[in-house]
Amino acid sequence: MPVRSKLAFALASTLSVACYSLHGSEGGGEIDTASRRAPNPNDVALADGYSIDVVAVGLTFPTDVVFDDQQRLHVVEGGYSYGERFTTARLLRFETNETWQTVAEGRNGPWTGAVFHQGNFYVSEGGQLEGGRIVRITPKGERTVVVEGLPGRGDHHTNRPVVGPDGLLYFGQGASTNSGVVGEDSKDFGWLKRFPEQHDIPCQDITLTGKNYETKDALRGTDARVTTGAYMAFGTPTKPDQVVKGSLPCTGSIMRVNSSGGPLELVAWGLRNPFGLAFDAQGVLYATDNGADERGSRPIFGSADVLWRIEPGAWYGWPDFSEGRAVDQDRYAPPGGARPARLLAAHPGKPPKPAAYLAVHASADGVDFSTNPSFGFVGEAFIAIFGDMAPRVGKVISPVGFKVVRVDPKTGVVRDFAVNRSEKEGPASLIESGGLERPIAVRFDPSRTALYVVDFGVLAVSDEGITPRAGTGVVWRIRRTGAR
Amino acid sequence: MTKRPHRSFAFRVVHPALALALVASAFATGCGSERRSEPLVGRFAPKSGAETHGERVFFTFCHQCHPGGEAGLGPAINDKPVPGAAIRLQVREGLGAMPAFEATEIPDRDLDDLIAYLSALREHGG
Repeated sequence: MPVRSKLAFALASTLSVACYSLHGSEGGGEIDTASRRAPNPNDVALADGYSIDVVAVGLTFPTDVVFDDQQRLHVVEGGYSYGERFTTARLLRFETNETWQTVAEGRNGPWTGAVFHQGNFYVSEGGQLEGGRIVRITPKGERTVVVEGLPGRGDHHTNRPVVGPDGLLYFGQGASTNSGVVGEDSKDFGWLKRFPEQHDIPCQDITLTGKNYETKDALRGTDARVTTGAYMAFGTPTKPDQVVKGSLPCTGSIMRVNSSGGPLELVAWGLRNPFGLAFDAQGVLYATDNGADERGSRPIFGSADVLWRIEPGAWYGWPDFSEGRAVDQDRYAPPGGARPARLLAAHPGKPPKPAAYLAVHASADGVDFSTNPSFGFVGEAFIAIFGDMAPRVGKVISPVGFKVVRVDPKTGVVRDFAVNRSEKEGPASLIESGGLERPIAVRFDPSRTALYVVDFGVLAVSDEGITPRAGTGVVWRIRRTGAR
Repeated sequence: MTKRPHRSFAFRVVHPALALALVASAFATGCGSERRSEPLVGRFAPKSGAETHGERVFFTFCHQCHPGGEAGLGPAINDKPVPGAAIRLQVREGLGAMPAFEATEIPDRDLDDLIAYLSALREHGG
């Protein structure tokens, strides 16, 4: 390219970065007020040949639905929301007289989901207060711990279990941090002061570059400076070639355990927050994974959410890769900032490529596969897209998510399936409609002909904080009504 | 001494003008709605092998910042009548926060197909 053109382009690029930096964030949670929620199916647009109706309203922080062996609908209320809002976590049964019966309740939220297996419920206690657990709950509400002591006290938690073809319980364990380093953002989440020793745990031995980050002493709230390295507690630096031993349980991983208890087994690692898990009809495991945010000591720009096809034993790249691409390059540098530094001196492997790339900051959460031709789109993964939490995760130009998408894992093509009717994308509270707010889970019913969508409810986000609204959760149901 | 190749006035002007036009269009109000969501405008069906392949290229490299061609981390592209040459330039050179994609990452033929897909998507329901 001629020099003059290069200069012109450089000028254009500089102006573009400046414009982007000055442009305010316009995320879906950046609402001034949230009026009373009145769900209206007419405000939700669906793919041709499908209809939606409301099954339940007035729920508080719901995270999942599950059906028992009598095909009775149950809802999991999480008991915790970002914004440090703690409520009672509950497993509720929807009775025939359209009332809710409490099967079990607890305080170690967020309860991120449940599965019904061989006569019992298996619930993931996310672990914000007591560490993560998988507990067995009988239909009468009796609890037995299957596994506990999971590292769920950080940014992300112990996630919803699924049952594999081998009868084992598989679950995701989110990372404690955004990108491997405990920082001032960890205090913003609320857990740093509760658990100052919390940090990420590798699943296998790793060797660090020794890169450290200096921040204010967020733990003590003074102006003193502290230095923190990767996979270390806040204020603990690292050295080049320092080895951090791997162990189980570990963060940023998928593990499995026998439903009767016993030792944990590692399935995959190097993930960030594998929130949704689902096996396809061929018994292949897939996981949704939330990409990194532009926050904390090591912000990463432009990191996609993804759908992974899980290969047993594979390392998926976090914290040094995003969507299979190394992050120590300019494209992941925050505008006007430095590229993220490499944290691992040696990488355990080459990360696979995603089955699909989803939108940055979308928060791709629950996933389930269509298997019944009566519903359609057999073999495609349906994903609940919770929606962005800008500006806390980074800036967006326009709201991202707040819908249900379908993904063809063979091609990576993503298509909207259920969205709000509006000129612009966004949650119902922003666009002032009765549509979707924040889908967090999708689950086909036992007949596989109806897709249930769990809608977390209103979650407002600003520079000052995160404000969830109790009692605004909804369960929707989508069914096929005609030929496509 | 190597003689510098003659560049026409149009060429000397076009590249910088395209660059500045891209910046302006990136943040300018688009023409019409940016939404191409299937529930709103119907399913997009590629009409050629180029569009089919271009769709896959889009979802591998573009969708994460321009979800479905709508605004997200990056601006909407569905509602911007940007010519193919300008798209090619922006993909190859990057612009501001948008990274450059070299031919080793998106080969020329893939870029041609991507442009065909973006053009078809813009017309679909727009």
